[in-house]
Amino acid sequence: MAKKKLLIALAGNANVGKSVIFNHLTGLHQHIGNWPGKTVEKAEGTLHFKGYTIDIIDLPGIYSLSTYSLEELISRKYIAVEKPDVVINVVDASVLERNLYFTLQLMELETPMVIALNQMDMAKRKGIQIDVEKLEKLLGIPVIPTVAIKGVGIFQLLEKAVEVVEKGQAAKYVSVKYGEEVEERIAKLTKMVEEVQFWYPPRYVAIKLLEGDEEIEREIKKLNPQIVSTAKKLASEIEKLHGHSCSTVITSERYEIAGCIAREAQKLVSPIKPKLGESLHNITTHKIMGYPIMAFVLLLIFYSIFTFGGYLSDLLNNLFYGWEPNFLSLFGTEIVGKLVWSVLEGIIAGVTIALPYIVPFYIILYFLEDSGYLSRIAFLMDNVMHKMGLHGKAFIPLILGYGCNVPACLGCRIMETQRERLLAAFATTLVPCAARTVIILGLVGKYLGIQWALTLYIFDLAVIFILGRLAFKALPGEPTALIMEMSDYRWPHIKTVLKQTWFRLTEFIKIAFPLIIVGSLAIKLAEILGLLEPIAMMLSPITVAWLGLPAITGITLIFGVLRKELTLVMLATLFGTTNFAEILSPIQMVVFTLVAMFYIPCIATIAALTKEFGWKKALYITIFEIIFAIGLGGIAFRILTLLTF
Amino acid sequence: MEKREVPLTALKDGETGIVISVKTGHGRGRGRRRGMWGFEKRLMDMGLTPGTKVTVVKSAPFHGPLEILVRGSRLALGRGMAERIFVEIER
Repeated sequence: MAKKKLLIALAGNANVGKSVIFNHLTGLHQHIGNWPGKTVEKAEGTLHFKGYTIDIIDLPGIYSLSTYSLEELISRKYIAVEKPDVVINVVDASVLERNLYFTLQLMELETPMVIALNQMDMAKRKGIQIDVEKLEKLLGIPVIPTVAIKGVGIFQLLEKAVEVVEKGQAAKYVSVKYGEEVEERIAKLTKMVEEVQFWYPPRYVAIKLLEGDEEIEREIKKLNPQIVSTAKKLASEIEKLHGHSCSTVITSERYEIAGCIAREAQKLVSPIKPKLGESLHNITTHKIMGYPIMAFVLLLIFYSIFTFGGYLSDLLNNLFYGWEPNFLSLFGTEIVGKLVWSVLEGIIAGVTIALPYIVPFYIILYFLEDSGYLSRIAFLMDNVMHKMGLHGKAFIPLILGYGCNVPACLGCRIMETQRERLLAAFATTLVPCAARTVIILGLVGKYLGIQWALTLYIFDLAVIFILGRLAFKALPGEPTALIMEMSDYRWPHIKTVLKQTWFRLTEFIKIAFPLIIVGSLAIKLAEILGLLEPIAMMLSPITVAWLGLPAITGITLIFGVLRKELTLVMLATLFGTTNFAEILSPIQMVVFTLVAMFYIPCIATIAALTKEFGWKKALYITIFEIIFAIGLGGIAFRILTLLTF
Repeated sequence: MEKREVPLTALKDGETGIVISVKTGHGRGRGRRRGMWGFEKRLMDMGLTPGTKVTVVKSAPFHGPLEILVRGSRLALGRGMAERIFVEIER
């Protein structure tokens, strides 16, 4: 007998434990990718249950189904077009009203659904008691209480979802009823919409047209422009009656319904536990205390990762390079051997960055994110980020950038609009990643003193700020402001944190490794063909005349495209010494480090930029940074020479 | 008791107001354009509809964002946005 297939979608607000439920359901059978052509994440998984093969899609965490963000658009289209057999709406029991607002919109999409009433434990602690049966009755939808983090209720949830598919349910829905004036007009419009073929249910289309939804307006206009003009007329009638825009009226009423249901189904008693989370929130967002705490947390993270990462990275490097003689004796030192080794070198380069730096960084970051601390950081930093046309959330990919720019670029997906994603990604490519830190500390820090290294870091922050600001002025479009829920602090689900880290790691490998390997091969080939010296000579007007560096740095800068700390490694190899004081003057060290910091996003970062924004924008950023770094280096060289004269 | 309509940013820490309107600026015609529609819609979707009670918990220093309580949840709201939300307070 052929296996029966089912498609289940998970939908709900952000931070309600959706991904924890997803992990419980799908275990290791997951695949995380992007929605076709979009920089929005798509998580899919499969499981077997009661003779069914069930595909599960974890839709993005959103608050509404309008066209405010890509995520919202994708989610509603997915539900309407792909028609999952059932949607599991994950609801945070401790913030029932806001979550039900989203539930009501799902109901308007007329999809079969089950509600997972999650975080029941948190609700209880906050003194919120929910009458599940009553809630079920009020909505006409099965409600399963869950505590996802402990795995409570997951089985029942799945059972119920399958039951809904087998027995059908959509008809039993309590439909969402607005006020009379609105209902009348919805009915009128629905009738018109029923006559055209469209992927959303007619009543939903009617409501969204009254709300002035752009996507639906555009699509319906193609089918029958008269519907849109009627909708506009009806909407302005409602506007006149209520004194608010029609979309405001409808949203208000929808919230009113959500509020009524929430109030009826829940009872407020006094909270059980002393509010540890509350005091933690107060102190971490405190006007004065918040900042030192944030600085301390971030410094602690950087310090531990660089200590641990540096150690591990060296260990891995020594291990791998220890194999080199064995390897070369196996493949020979001829061209083939060298080329194969260069491929391996590329892989080694990837591994020694990914394992020691990216993995721990992600674990800590996801831990902080799931606990709720990152949203507090975004709150504290909103102000500063605004100067760059971004809001507080953009600070998070910037922090990520200190580990590695690749995940940081991908992390810019948390921004709402494409413009902000690009701005944030541009800023992150200027952040000194682990590899650049190796150069800064290994050259300037070691030979000129840590105060100079720190100066460079501060200078880098200034550059990020100034260039970010300029880019913000140059790119057309309006900045969006911060509006973000700060959900209560909670203990993260470690398995989910690890799994997210794992997927980020595989993503990094997929994006970065092919290019690092190809790049290694190309450079090795150039070396074998004796092209490096001529290239260095060709670059000498820039390296020697303008930047005041030894000609050979031209070669090292080429290697640095693969992986920035190679600029330093190659410098040692080519000069045959690791005592850089012998070969570079202090000024040259500073200039070299400055150039190495900015001169190009490494090849893996370029790949990430291309993936997210297309090759054109990636190319623009790359070219800009090359010119900028060379300009900056030359100016620094002249100023420093003048100062020390 | 005196009723006043002020922007949300005029509320002191701990004060509560009732949302009266969201001013999207630029007059009617332009206000309905893309960016502004999104802005207003977003606020509404997050629950800041007219008639809703909003409590300002605190604001981040140097004209930073506001922390507000609305419909049982805690939101961080950029100052630029908060300035356009008009509330009525009772003092």
